[in-house]
Amino acid sequence: MSTKDDRIELLQGTLDLLILRTLLPGPAHGHAIVKAIERDSEELLLVEQGSLYPALHRLIKRGWIGVTEGTSENNRRAKYYRLTAAGRKQLTVQTTRWDKLARAIARILRPESEESRP
Amino acid sequence: MSHPLDNLGDDIRDHIERETQENIERGMSPEEARAAALRKFGNVTRVMEETRAVWISVWLEQLLQDIRYGVRGLRHNPGFAAVVVLTLAMAIGMNTAVFSLVNAILVRPLPYPDPDRLVWLGNYNRFFKAEMVSSPDYVDWKDQAASFAGIVAYGTGGYTLASAEGAGHHVLADVTTDFWDISGARPVLGRFFGPEDRDGIVLSDELFEREFRRDPDVVGQSVTVNGRAVTVLGVLPKGFRFLLPTSFGLQTGNAREIEGYIPNPVVWQHPSRGRNVSIQSVVAKLKPGISIERARSELAGIQARIAGENPEARYDAQSLRVTPLQEKLAASARPALLVLFAAVSFVLLIACANIANLLLARGAARQKEIAIRIAIGAGRARVIRQFLGENLALALFGGTLGLLLARLAAPVIMTLAPPSLPRLGETTIDGRVLLFALAATLGTGFIFGITPAILLRRSKAYEVLKQGGRTSSAGSAGLPLRRLLVAAELALALVLLIGAGLMVKSFWRMNARPPGFDPERILALQVPLSGPKYRAVAQQRRFAEEMLERVEQGPGVEAASVLAQGQLRGSGTAPHNPNVASLSSAQVMHLPHVTFSTVSSGFDRVMGLRVVRGRWLAESEPGPAIVINESMAHEVFGEGDAVGKHLGLGDNVDDPATRASIIGVVSDLKYSRLDAPAEPEVYIPYQLSSSFLGMTVMVRTATDATAMAPAIRSAIASVDRTQPVAEVKTLEQALADSIAPRRFNLYLLGTFATSALLLALIGIYGVIAYGVAQRTQEIGVRIALGAQRSQVLWLVLREGMTLAAAGITVGLAAAFALTRLMTSLLYDVKPTDPSTYAAVAAVLAATALAASCKPALKAAWVDPASTLRQE
Repeated sequence: MSTKDDRIELLQGTLDLLILRTLLPGPAHGHAIVKAIERDSEELLLVEQGSLYPALHRLIKRGWIGVTEGTSENNRRAKYYRLTAAGRKQLTVQTTRWDKLARAIARILRPESEESRP
Repeated sequence: MSHPLDNLGDDIRDHIERETQENIERGMSPEEARAAALRKFGNVTRVMEETRAVWISVWLEQLLQDIRYGVRGLRHNPGFAAVVVLTLAMAIGMNTAVFSLVNAILVRPLPYPDPDRLVWLGNYNRFFKAEMVSSPDYVDWKDQAASFAGIVAYGTGGYTLASAEGAGHHVLADVTTDFWDISGARPVLGRFFGPEDRDGIVLSDELFEREFRRDPDVVGQSVTVNGRAVTVLGVLPKGFRFLLPTSFGLQTGNAREIEGYIPNPVVWQHPSRGRNVSIQSVVAKLKPGISIERARSELAGIQARIAGENPEARYDAQSLRVTPLQEKLAASARPALLVLFAAVSFVLLIACANIANLLLARGAARQKEIAIRIAIGAGRARVIRQFLGENLALALFGGTLGLLLARLAAPVIMTLAPPSLPRLGETTIDGRVLLFALAATLGTGFIFGITPAILLRRSKAYEVLKQGGRTSSAGSAGLPLRRLLVAAELALALVLLIGAGLMVKSFWRMNARPPGFDPERILALQVPLSGPKYRAVAQQRRFAEEMLERVEQGPGVEAASVLAQGQLRGSGTAPHNPNVASLSSAQVMHLPHVTFSTVSSGFDRVMGLRVVRGRWLAESEPGPAIVINESMAHEVFGEGDAVGKHLGLGDNVDDPATRASIIGVVSDLKYSRLDAPAEPEVYIPYQLSSSFLGMTVMVRTATDATAMAPAIRSAIASVDRTQPVAEVKTLEQALADSIAPRRFNLYLLGTFATSALLLALIGIYGVIAYGVAQRTQEIGVRIALGAQRSQVLWLVLREGMTLAAAGITVGLAAAFALTRLMTSLLYDVKPTDPSTYAAVAAVLAATALAASCKPALKAAWVDPASTLRQE
């Protein structure tokens, strides 16, 4: 488990991408989404849990995710967020874009490592 | 379908509970677990706000998109857009202009410090119908009342101001020193007068500019005010205005700005007498935290004590008034402004109805487009919002243009408005007016925009599409609603027109004049006669004698007379001689409006007075002789003959020296105010009068009165150069000024009523023409089957007249209920005057007929062959 100081604050806009990715396997409620992000990043990424909700609604507004009311494991009513077809497409687009961005930034920061590549 | 935002709170609560549960599972205590969960979540309120904001921006975005779409749509239909925008601009412009008046006069606080603590104090005298305070009462209030931080007594009047530069007539206010605190004024030059200054004057910026050409050395100089030497102490800043109510003398048509300030002598005169003579206006400033009720009860206690100690003074005729100053200032203008405001909002309603009508017609034409959009999946709500967006665009255009119009109209209104309207000069388009215009714009946009949308809700897409054809009855769905709107428009217009009609009739009544009275040929020149030289009445008489002689010699002068009006002090004793009717004090109190007019023998020829009994005054009478008017004769002598009877004019009736015999009775004549009935009047020859300071010279001219003014002015000046003529007007002008506020109301109401009529004309034409266009085929068939053209003509006309009849009936009932609210604006006309109602109804019916004629003729000349081919 990493200490607090190692944690990285999320870049603007990346939360949306992570939410989409997290929902790829299937619908989830809000708390599960944050937990998944934290777990999958090995707790390196720091998400202020509240900021999830404006992001979720932005995605609903754009039609990338949908909401359904459902009952959770312990019989509580909860909102389940799921990926829509448009959201699935958007995830591909954004992932590609992210990869390009990450490569470009890496190339600038460490030019020698780029040269050493085959 | 539920909105994603529904149950957002539950969602977040659920989230935090899950986190708490997890923390407990990790071994935290429940309290710790919850605190940690909340910390990790962040500020719940902010999160909810941000989440909601996501959706608000969507809504706004879509609305903006709709407005853009609407503007694009309107560009394809410029004629329609222009009509709607212009109608709206006119209505909103008028409303904004009137509201800016209401704002300046009724709403905006006085620009003096702590305006909500300023109160008007007065003793209302029910006989004189005035709220004034006697000097001794004021001094007692000032000394004894603890509720006030300041209390100012003041009066306003015309004075002759003479400096090395020359003499001129100016309006000054005499104020006690508390005025400076109450008004918050600071001198830009010199200082203000304090309690120790008795002979000082403070100049307004205007007077400083006009008379002293901004010479700073004027401070300390000596000038004379009404012949008394005073020192110029200071100058007020530019833009400072005297805003206290002026309830005496200046209140009628010729109110003017106060040009200078002199000390009010009430404080040092220590008047012990004169509790009956109320000449002071009083305004006070409440101490912080003191309620107006508390001040009122304190003052009432003081006043009760004064009344007990002065049994001879008639306090039983008076009652104390303590009113917030703002309320007192607005009181005279309020009824008229509210009527105007109501009238102008009627115009706005009519405009809304008209535009809703146009939109309905357009909506009908666009039904197919809409049906297609709904059929291919547009939400009904979205389509309605799109209509709203389009209408909002229209409203915003109209509102902006209207605001522009109001801005342009403001100076015009200000020149038309009577100067007696308080604080009119402060009329501007400020934030409050802008807000009003915006509210009116959005409100109208919503009202007229929602009507077609509601109608659309009911229409079924598939039916519209099924009918398909252009000429189907698709649009007729809105026709009943459109007829209803037009009838309502007509009703509203009728109410406005009746209001305006009643005012026109009032004017006609006010301006009715008897034969022989030609105010346009009479010149009225004010000669105040100021200064110590004319304190003695003998001097005044000599001046009058010489002046009349010189004026009458002038070419083109038919007759001349002096005129000085006043009220006589009554005597306390009853007459012993049955032939002497003395005006006892009690009678004067009950005849509050007896006017005592000092005149000379030429007065009857100047005015064209008609002698009813006896004769008019001769150049010189053997004994004390007076003439009275019919109202006076009736008041004092009832049905009996007044000629040969006597009136006691002095303090003591039994003193034969002050007893005058009535030698004639003349018919009543209104020559000073048009909007009040003639009052009982006594004409006293100036040889008999005890003082006639502040007199007016009345001159009847053979030709153009205005052209003769300079010659007469110089003739008067040649008698005594130190006594300038203060003001010259034809009597016609003076009379017109006396009803200036009423004329202003009439202009505005007339404009509104005319606009309403115009809009109603457009509205009724629109509906009838539309109805005809819809039924062209039906009419074609009728004609083809042998209907006479006259029958078709009648068919259409009847439709128009049915609408008109409905509108007029409702309008008459509404007018009957509403016009009584404008009773105070009318003169000698009942608010339910049947002839006005009939005339206005006829005008409206004729308008409706005219509006139906064109479509009716068009229908009558339909060519059956061509219409049927179109099918």
